[in-house]
Amino acid sequence: MALHLSVLIVGGAVIRVGVVPAEVCPPVDDAAVRNAIDEAVQWIAAGMGPDGRYTYGYHRGHDRVSPEYNGPRHAGVTLSLYQTHALTGSADALSAADRGLDYALKGMITTNDFTAWELFGEVNTGANGLLLAGLAIRREATGDGRHDHLMRAIGRFLLVQQYPDGSVSGYWHRSIGMPEPTYATYSTGEAAWALVLLDRAFPGEGWGESAARTIDYMATDRDRREGRLSRLPDHWAAYTISDLRPELLTGSRLDYARQLAGYFGMRLRFEAQRRGDGINLALRWFPGPPAGVGTAAEGIGALWRISADPKLASLRPNIEERMICTAGFMVRRQVTAAEAAGAARPELERGAWFYRGYTQMDDQQHVLSSLLAALTLIESRKDPG
Amino acid sequence: MSEVLLVLAFVAAVNPPRARLGLPEDERARPLPVAMLVGSVVAIGVVTGLAWWSAPLLDALEITPETFRIAAGLVAVLAGGWAFFLPIPAVEPALAGWRAGLWPVAYPRILSPEVLVLAIAAGTQNGVAWSVVAAAAAVGALGLLAVVPNRGSAARFMASTGRVLAVLLVVAGIFLMIDGIRDV
Repeated sequence: MALHLSVLIVGGAVIRVGVVPAEVCPPVDDAAVRNAIDEAVQWIAAGMGPDGRYTYGYHRGHDRVSPEYNGPRHAGVTLSLYQTHALTGSADALSAADRGLDYALKGMITTNDFTAWELFGEVNTGANGLLLAGLAIRREATGDGRHDHLMRAIGRFLLVQQYPDGSVSGYWHRSIGMPEPTYATYSTGEAAWALVLLDRAFPGEGWGESAARTIDYMATDRDRREGRLSRLPDHWAAYTISDLRPELLTGSRLDYARQLAGYFGMRLRFEAQRRGDGINLALRWFPGPPAGVGTAAEGIGALWRISADPKLASLRPNIEERMICTAGFMVRRQVTAAEAAGAARPELERGAWFYRGYTQMDDQQHVLSSLLAALTLIESRKDPG
Repeated sequence: MSEVLLVLAFVAAVNPPRARLGLPEDERARPLPVAMLVGSVVAIGVVTGLAWWSAPLLDALEITPETFRIAAGLVAVLAGGWAFFLPIPAVEPALAGWRAGLWPVAYPRILSPEVLVLAIAAGTQNGVAWSVVAAAAAVGALGLLAVVPNRGSAARFMASTGRVLAVLLVVAGIFLMIDGIRDV
């Protein structure tokens, strides 16, 4: 009997420590989330150069700013700032985003058919998709239609990049004037979401139908065609589905949304198990890269908006639980003013999320966007009306 | 997990033919009826309790039901593998009289680790009623096998059937793990 009970207790302990450690969800309220959002915006704004570029990355251990830069991340941060302004009315976010937008506008190239943003000699589909998404969110939040012509022109570029089966070329080859026959991991979803937002801005022009074609490609063929063994947990696809016109939300597209919710949920549950110390560090490693956690939280936050649909309604309580839990531990993981006070460059630490001593602009971008979704949820609970 | 699969999973976890081979017996190679009755009632009571308190229990352990299903599936896979390679459990020295229903009938023959974790996982997903129904079906099957003498071809047949159920438990465990991974 003693042997059996010993095996039971030891086995239970091994399972507890190794397989199901506690999923820690610190309590969080709207004030804390708002504060984290403000701090992240300040990190982005404080690190902007006079030309409108953001700080790409910062290694606090070496007190070194990364010299890298690229278009998708620039456009992504700009988009996130516009999302912030749209939800919170933050003037700082709008001002920083407009400066970021101005930087991009200096690199626009125009052909007979379209306009697109080129950076460092590369015309990246995803960067243009995110830039267009940001412009659409800006237009909706401010009512300012000054970029309407440009939005349609970038939309036409995305259609040029889209193949008849819904797949999307990752780049446009300027010298031959054609899409390059290559895919980029997230460009497909970024382009599709931009087209959906364009459809919302200019209904009846067919942008949504084009986006739906790419959703179907992402839901069916993409992973096999693009050489992945498992489905890509694509938060941009989640945004695309959740912003799609209701009449385009078919059963198969909602099924895809359901699958995506599962991937995001698993990722976030796993993340909640990470404490980064003791035996947990050996078994679960360090708390994950903020951009990775943020994308999963962003994706699940996007799906929350359509989780009232009967096909997704059973997921809604869990989706909300993951959103609140993630907001709780990400607020806690953000560098506070007090923690940054003694740093070499407090302005590049305060408000940021680091992974093993390094932070990058998309860390702030994705966590910021995920916190916006969580804030909407928390506030809707306070004031259901 | 569907209700049908839940019942199959409980039957595979209790594994009545294999459990039957490890029950204490009288001189006619049959289990003591009183011990069987006590063991069955205790086992169903424990499953009911675990299913009933599964949500607060997991809350206290800070584990989401979806993640717990992964752990439960892993336990089921390991237990299924163990039962497949060891189809005849060791006969444990029994407590005297009706207490044999507690040891070894209720534990470890019926309330094995895989049954305990399954009760918790099922409690949060399928509810108490279905958990009890599934456990009762498995215990009822063991009760039916109790009238079969543990000898000769009957014993060999139970060992073989136990192996089949062990494979079924592995399959159910894999299903539980996938379910836990894919859920939100």
